Amino acid sequence: MTPDERSTLLDSLLDGDISEADFLRLEAELIVDAEVRQEYYRRLQLGVLLEREAAESLLDPSVHAAAVLDTATDPAIEHATNDTSAARIKSSRMMLLAGTLLAIAASVFVVVPLIRGASEPQDLVAWDPNAATNSERVSRPESEPSASGFAILSGQSEAVWEGVAIGSGGLLPGGELHLKSGLVHLELFSGVQVVVQGEAIFSIDSPMQISMTRGRARAQVPNAAHGFRIKTAAGEVVDLGTEFAVDVTDDRSSVQVVDGEVELRPQGMTAVADSLRLLEGESVELMSDGQVSQTQTADLNLVGPVAFQKELAQSQSNRLQQWQAASERMRTDPRLIAHYQVDPSAEWSRQLVNLAAGRRDVASDGAVVAAQRVTDRWGRSGAALDFSRTGSRVRLDVPGSHRGLTLYCWVKINSLDRWYNSLFLTDGHEEREPHWQIMDDGRMFFSVKAPLAESQEEQSFSHKIYYSEPIWDTSLSGRWIMLATVYDVDAQQVIHYLNGKPVSREAIPAESLSEVIKIGPASICNWSQPMYRTDATFVVRNLNGVMDEFAMFSGALSPQEISEIYKVGDPY
Amino acid sequence: MTSSFAKKIRSGDFFLVNLFSEAAFMGMHTPNSHSADEATFVGQLTECQLPLMLYVRALMPGDHAASDVIQQTNTKIWEKRADFEPGTNFKAWAFAIARFEVLNHRKQQARDARLRFSDELEVTVADELVALDDDLLQRHAALRECMKSLKPESRELLMCRYASAESLAEFSKRVGRSVGGIKVTLHRLRTKLADCIEQRLVATGEME
Repeated sequence: MTPDERSTLLDSLLDGDISEADFLRLEAELIVDAEVRQEYYRRLQLGVLLEREAAESLLDPSVHAAAVLDTATDPAIEHATNDTSAARIKSSRMMLLAGTLLAIAASVFVVVPLIRGASEPQDLVAWDPNAATNSERVSRPESEPSASGFAILSGQSEAVWEGVAIGSGGLLPGGELHLKSGLVHLELFSGVQVVVQGEAIFSIDSPMQISMTRGRARAQVPNAAHGFRIKTAAGEVVDLGTEFAVDVTDDRSSVQVVDGEVELRPQGMTAVADSLRLLEGESVELMSDGQVSQTQTADLNLVGPVAFQKELAQSQSNRLQQWQAASERMRTDPRLIAHYQVDPSAEWSRQLVNLAAGRRDVASDGAVVAAQRVTDRWGRSGAALDFSRTGSRVRLDVPGSHRGLTLYCWVKINSLDRWYNSLFLTDGHEEREPHWQIMDDGRMFFSVKAPLAESQEEQSFSHKIYYSEPIWDTSLSGRWIMLATVYDVDAQQVIHYLNGKPVSREAIPAESLSEVIKIGPASICNWSQPMYRTDATFVVRNLNGVMDEFAMFSGALSPQEISEIYKVGDPY
Repeated sequence: MTSSFAKKIRSGDFFLVNLFSEAAFMGMHTPNSHSADEATFVGQLTECQLPLMLYVRALMPGDHAASDVIQQTNTKIWEKRADFEPGTNFKAWAFAIARFEVLNHRKQQARDARLRFSDELEVTVADELVALDDDLLQRHAALRECMKSLKPESRELLMCRYASAESLAEFSKRVGRSVGGIKVTLHRLRTKLADCIEQRLVATGEME
């Protein structure tokens, strides 16, 4: 019998819905196997606790407003209440007992629906599939991750945004966007590709519509998105074919069809009959007063999405070379303890060579376990490790002791679906050892177990954890980011960084300062529990994501240095 | 007394209210040195409710008569409270009474067709349950946390199922799904919760 078959049969047994043949099979296993019995008890416990939980949720109006039993008219409760008040007026000698009874009366409220539920299911809220849909909608924010936007910024070249810069690969926010200069490539969720040239003021109204006040845009529209439109003050341009460009100013809009066909709906003309069709190679100007004139001049001379991406790839390849050169320089930094990259040419190797060469006591090479090779942030295949498979990790050994520590890595996280999502953890968690991970709510976590001073009593032991604010949510899913954390002994502070910028800074209290950090055997992107040495059961903490670079320095790197590392390593 | 209890149990009333009223009655009318002991006893019995449920259900898997037997057991425990020696293992004592009540219930169900464990297995289960680690409260806390990770509709489905004493067939009809489908869904949810609880217990066992 497989474990799953077994637990299915246990459920059937407890549901009172098991065939005689299955019952006998299960009984045979229960008789001979103590572990199967343990599983049976666990399943029973779960059922009993769920029953209690169900009873309490029925009584808690915040959980189940519609399902609260009408306790006020329940004669049993009335009975209890009367007796309670009766007890209260008796002699003081009885007060102690009355108190106990009140406590029991309180527990009665818990017990009521357990038994009532057993005999009167019709009292309970009816299970209504539609109601479930409603409740899902109501509670969506806390239960199901969501993101906002109709498009992502898939590339940019010398782009300057008004206000906060938008990162490549990120979701474009709603509302008006102001690109002051440069070129950007937008990918709408309808499949429409748009290159926008600054200066441009526009908003993405839906996956099928962009409103443009000013600027130039060239859109490539796949079959699935025919009907995509760009709205301007002078009228609308509706795509019927594949590719067109617009140049929008305050008083007119020039339209040019690169490929296929578009429909023009000049301002003020609402009937379809009033619209104009424009074929490949043709161009017109729409005036804000509704006039339309054919033009021959306008070759809008804006690159299309394909050409734009080619250019971007070229510039990215230049950046890759710069990053490689910077990595080469970093090797000899005497503070560098470990620096791992995944060599795409060593295709089947399960060894990660430690590139650090600037000191004697560097970390060992890494041993890859279970993690699989995937594409790195530069688009090179086989140059990153995917840790999402259970058990994935890179094992390493770090000798020596260090006054302070700096860690950074480039990761692409799929989701934070475990409570602890590992980045770098020593085996177990002994004194002076660092643990670096991300919580399921997106906060970065760093701790060094403080040594126990000889004079300190056990209870004054302080194990301080340095959290950042949440830095990750699902909108960053699948995007490459650089995480860094600095444990600075001299400045007595811990700083977390996201993409080269400090996101939190916290002082290390004197009593939990560990001047010396020790590491020893450790794992990247997973945790080796102490009990795992003998017990096959382990908690799942591997990072559900991809990493293509990891580095560790003895001592604290400055914010400027972190920022430089980010800039030269940023693929976007 | 016993017959009125029985009637109340059948009519959907429940044990602890009776316990409460009887204890109040005793406290008010026969003030004596026993009252402090009574209070302790009541406390122990209240604490023991979850383990008792577990115990009786383990011996009567999938049998909805189990809740009746639990009530019957509570009644019997209260009647026999004078026999309990303070300081000895309350749980073991209460379980022994429960065991007797389960057997008693079987005798009354004249030739019930229900499947039941062999005597040998039943003895083993009964012994092991007495020794089962006492971490129901931690498990309950873990369960609550784990419930949060479920989708709202899954949570609601579980709560509806566990608040009801319907058979699986009746329940699936009420929620408008096939018995097979409901079984698979519930199994998946329970397994998810069970795994989550074990992990939480492990996780809370360590330092961070």
